[in-house]
Amino acid sequence: MDKIVALGIDVGSTTVKMVGVNASGDFEWNYLEGSDPRVEDQVDSFLQRFRTETGMTDSVPLVATGYGRKLVGQAEKIVTEITCHAKGVFKQLGHGGTLIDIGGQDSKVIIIGEEGQVVDFAMNDKCAAGTGRFLENTAGRLRVPLDQMGEVAIAARDEVAISSTCTVFAESEIISLIAHGVKVEPILKGLHRSLIIRVVAMVRSIGLIPPLMLSGGVVKNPAIRKMIEEESGEPVILPEQPQLMGAYGAALIAQKIAVG
Amino acid sequence: MDSIEIPKRIETINSFKAQGGKVAAVLPIHYSRALFRAFDILPVEVWGPPEVEASYGGVHLQAYVCSIVHNALSFLKKGGLEIADFILVPHACDSLQGLGSILLDFVKPTQTVAPLYLPRGKRTEDKQFLADEFRALARQLSNLTGKEPGDDKLLECIEREEQADLLLADLYRNRTGLGLDNLSFYRLIRSREYLPAEQFTELAQTALEKHSARNPNGIPILLSGIVPERMEVLKAIEELGGFVVADDFACCGRRLYPKGNERDPFLRMAERIINAPPDPTRGNSIDERAEFLINLAQTYGAKGVIFYELKFCEPELFDLPNLRNSLKQAGLNSVHIEVDIKDPLSNQVITRIGAFLEILE
Ligand code: SF4
Repeated sequence: MDKIVALGIDVGSTTVKMVGVNASGDFEWNYLEGSDPRVEDQVDSFLQRFRTETGMTDSVPLVATGYGRKLVGQAEKIVTEITCHAKGVFKQLGHGGTLIDIGGQDSKVIIIGEEGQVVDFAMNDKCAAGTGRFLENTAGRLRVPLDQMGEVAIAARDEVAISSTCTVFAESEIISLIAHGVKVEPILKGLHRSLIIRVVAMVRSIGLIPPLMLSGGVVKNPAIRKMIEEESGEPVILPEQPQLMGAYGAALIAQKIAVG
Repeated sequence: MDSIEIPKRIETINSFKAQGGKVAAVLPIHYSRALFRAFDILPVEVWGPPEVEASYGGVHLQAYVCSIVHNALSFLKKGGLEIADFILVPHACDSLQGLGSILLDFVKPTQTVAPLYLPRGKRTEDKQFLADEFRALARQLSNLTGKEPGDDKLLECIEREEQADLLLADLYRNRTGLGLDNLSFYRLIRSREYLPAEQFTELAQTALEKHSARNPNGIPILLSGIVPERMEVLKAIEELGGFVVADDFACCGRRLYPKGNERDPFLRMAERIINAPPDPTRGNSIDERAEFLINLAQTYGAKGVIFYELKFCEPELFDLPNLRNSLKQAGLNSVHIEVDIKDPLSNQVITRIGAFLEILE
């Protein structure tokens, strides 16, 4: 492992991610765990883990992003997740385009320019219906483990249209469908579709500039990628660690501070 | 100078009434302050207000009507406008037109409610039409007060407002040298919504005399929309590293009415409104608005435009995609942020503004 010169932390609504980079901005170390409401304590424990795992004792600049970024007192700088995701993805994939990031609490579409700069963005953060939380809540209702939802949805032959645009109403709709004897698999497929239609509508509202890229924890779900391709008609490219792109982008900004 | 002592709305109303004057509640956007003052009536504008239990208006209004109209109706129904002797509803948009009808046909407040129709063009006929609207309004104000001010009195009131508006424009021109932060500057500008012109003039002169050498830091930006509510957003912009150098708000910069030339007082009132900066509620085209915004950004060195819009505001939102496109082609970046004056300033709005400022950096 090369010497780590900078750290980035992404304090999200469901998980916290930390990434360490070397002087060239290459990915060297990372750690992820569920979010704790005591943010500063959690960041301290991340920093402790970083020192233990890497054996590095020098202090290095830390940049924070994510919805809890302002609570990271240890950070040298705070930057929005929009800029950080764009930086991380651009460095990993080496080109611009349209990035979709589906997070637990919000989803965003970011147009990245040819030099990695953010050109435009759109966010859905007022309603859980376009976010990972939508699947999480409804998966709970269907008693399907979160990490298996995508496969179950892809395998389903039939699909039931979910008409509710709100997470809470979607849950009641699911209960009613189950009460009418509809199977879990087509409901799950319909739920994924409902989420993706909303996300792709946001892409259209801002104007798709290919290639289409994807980041965020939700993309581990294979149905998400497949349905985005179906709905947008564009192939989707994924960075290697889609869930860590915010923290990676923050680390790249910290690396600039470190190397001047 | 970090802030300036501004008389409060309620104190101003009470003191005006104590001297025998009356008060008119005026809804957005354009009307003639001078006309009211000629009848010894203080016009006090109602842009919402934001902090009101908004459900009272829901009985009469659909959910897709903007929060200015929802809140104004709720405020009235809760008795917030009882202090007013007269209510004016200019027909800036369909929602306000609807509100005028609801007040006249269903709510029927104790005060006289008068509509004011605004022309959507700049032709001589438009000016004539608006002057006739003011003449009709003058008859209603005369019925209310028993007063009949002549042309001289009307012109005297117009000139006093013109003087206040010239100082308002001076404040805008000199804003970066005033030493006021974003929030204090807009508190001062927006006191024009309720202060008598002579009091505003004094305040503006004090602010201009205290001219400070301290130049604000921050990314220069231009704000556009209807009203900067919640006003904490102005502070947030500064904390995020931005500084507002110019605006195209319906309640502020779009009402920098130029001095008029007409000798007929009613034509002069109309002329001033018709020659004001472009405004979609007065029918200005997207091209006119784009040209105006690009010039404004160039004059004040703004690096980007934040369209801070109210949800469901049709006149604004219809123009927005093409307007933003025109700015983009001219190399001017913009972001669209949608808010509801009923909601407190949210973290999400702050993230959007922060991300936009990072783009401009
Ligand atoms: S905010 Fe827009 S829709 Fe609402 S009253 Fe003003 S102009 Fe009309």
